[in-house]
Amino acid sequence: MVQIFRFMPNTRTNVFCACATSDAMTLAPADAGQQQDGVRATVGVSGDGASLLRGILILWIIRLLFSKTYKLQDSSDLTEKEIEEIIEEWQPEPLVPRMSKEKPAPSYNIVSGPPCHKITVNGKQCINFASFNFLGLLDNDRVKNQALQSLRKYGVGTCGPRGFYGTFDVHLELEDRLAKFMRTEEAIIYSYGFATIASAIPAYSKRGDIVFVDEAACFSIQKGLQASRSHIKYFRHNDMEDLERILKQQELEDQKNPRKARVTRRFIVVEGLYMNTGAICPLPELVKLKYKYKVRIFLEESLSFGVLGQHGRGVTEHFGVNIDDIDLISANMENSLASVGGFCCGRSFVIDHQVFALLAQKAISDYVLIVILSQGYCFSASLPPMLASAAIEALNIMEEDQGLKVVGESISPAFHLQLEQSSGSRESDVRILNRIVEYCMDRKIALTQAHYLEKEEKFLPPPSIRVVVTVEQTEEELEMAANLIKEAAQNILQ
Amino acid sequence: MNVGVAHSEVNPNTRVMNSRGIWLAYLIFVSLLHLVLLSIPFLSVPLVWTLTNVIHNLVMYLFLHTVKGTPFETPDQGKARLLTHWEQMDYGVQFTSSRKFLTISPIILYLLASFYTKYDATHFLINTGSLLSVLLPKLPQFHGVRIFGINKY
Repeated sequence: MVQIFRFMPNTRTNVFCACATSDAMTLAPADAGQQQDGVRATVGVSGDGASLLRGILILWIIRLLFSKTYKLQDSSDLTEKEIEEIIEEWQPEPLVPRMSKEKPAPSYNIVSGPPCHKITVNGKQCINFASFNFLGLLDNDRVKNQALQSLRKYGVGTCGPRGFYGTFDVHLELEDRLAKFMRTEEAIIYSYGFATIASAIPAYSKRGDIVFVDEAACFSIQKGLQASRSHIKYFRHNDMEDLERILKQQELEDQKNPRKARVTRRFIVVEGLYMNTGAICPLPELVKLKYKYKVRIFLEESLSFGVLGQHGRGVTEHFGVNIDDIDLISANMENSLASVGGFCCGRSFVIDHQVFALLAQKAISDYVLIVILSQGYCFSASLPPMLASAAIEALNIMEEDQGLKVVGESISPAFHLQLEQSSGSRESDVRILNRIVEYCMDRKIALTQAHYLEKEEKFLPPPSIRVVVTVEQTEEELEMAANLIKEAAQNILQ
Repeated sequence: MNVGVAHSEVNPNTRVMNSRGIWLAYLIFVSLLHLVLLSIPFLSVPLVWTLTNVIHNLVMYLFLHTVKGTPFETPDQGKARLLTHWEQMDYGVQFTSSRKFLTISPIILYLLASFYTKYDATHFLINTGSLLSVLLPKLPQFHGVRIFGINKY
């Protein structure tokens, strides 16, 4: 380390002078011959300025070395005595707050037995118009048997989150089945329905991101938004013009500050069927807005899963929207599937985000993989396998509702009943339909299959039963025929 | 918090420069850089010192004052997304031991470089400019400051 200065008693002992002389001399320490008055000083070519700078730097080093070093823990400005005083003064609040006289303590209606069609509340037997048991699968024997089998095999709980030996084959199977049913790439299971959307939203939306959400969003969405710490912008319930207005506002702001806009993620959170108002969201307009303003859609389908759509796939099937247009679908399994927990499904890169906890690339645009942790998934015990098996069985029941489908307008007097799923070959289909026709004929309803000269037809229609309604049939006869056909289909096709 | 230790640190970036052995590793890296530059045959010693100084300051500026946020997700919903590593260190507490170490080492490197370049004018200008670029962002007055909006988002 070079000696910056060394001063002898007979020289001027000012620190700065020791580092500077008025002449610009280049002195290398090896040049021993240039010693003056025993002062060995090193001088910069630029003279005073450079040495001044070096002096300041050395002073700065000395100051840093000798000043107080702060550590992270000491952030308190209080002395020990003050801390003790504060601790002495503290009075804990009561664990249970005092109840005011006007608002009595909440009392619950006690249900004995399963909350299925006939429910026993407070000892009275009533017809259930309150539980979300949309498909009536709550008391279904098949589901119960499957759950009992699973209980015998796995026990009741899992005692661990998904990462710590809490992943069972039933979980993976249920995820696989849900993904196949909803026709998405992947699905993941949560163990508590309320926490599903409340964990999924903060997994994607962080501080600085913007979420556009309907005013009538349910409480779990609101908690998820609160946990995400993002900017929340509300639009009037189901009002697409209001949503477009605030999206336009956001676009104007983005144009003013494009660098900020590039790192801001934008989301729309809507429910398929709103729990608070019972309205259905207008999904096709939402998808149009999504592509126009480049926002991601999160669809919460708790009430519409199993209810809307021809096969129960939810509001996307109901409107015929391509499922890949929706970035994330989140639903409760506690309503139609009569189980516990929830699931999220979407494209692989969206779902992987909630699963992995490792290093990854940061989002650089709206359409790139983000990898993160969803706290409700990773830090919470997994769904009990008994409930997962029950959900799988419920899904089986939902899926196998294979029957006849009506082809034709409802006002048409002649329509066709075709098999929803062909059994493989035309002959076997024809035979099955024949059995239905015979079943009905045995019970005094004459039906016929639509016969074709198969080799002559240019475009052969699939085999079907052709039903004709005339003015001569009475209401009761129509009812009887409909019930009989339904019965026949159930007996023969199931 | 050291490598391989289970921790409950919300943002591990804040504790990286306090880990065991990192100061030594840093010094070793700088010396390695210097040795590599010294082994290039056609570079003179003053040039090598200036190059060491400049490259060290460039890399330090890049890692400490340019790159923002964390390469991993943190449970605090992205509080540090717009902060550079220097601003994240020790959760923004100034004058901690790592901050002092990282302030002093470029100064020492600068003084060494200015000695070995024999105080030549061009070298002086380059070294001083480089040093200032790496010292100014470290001042507590510059915490969170983005001049002309550069590197703001």
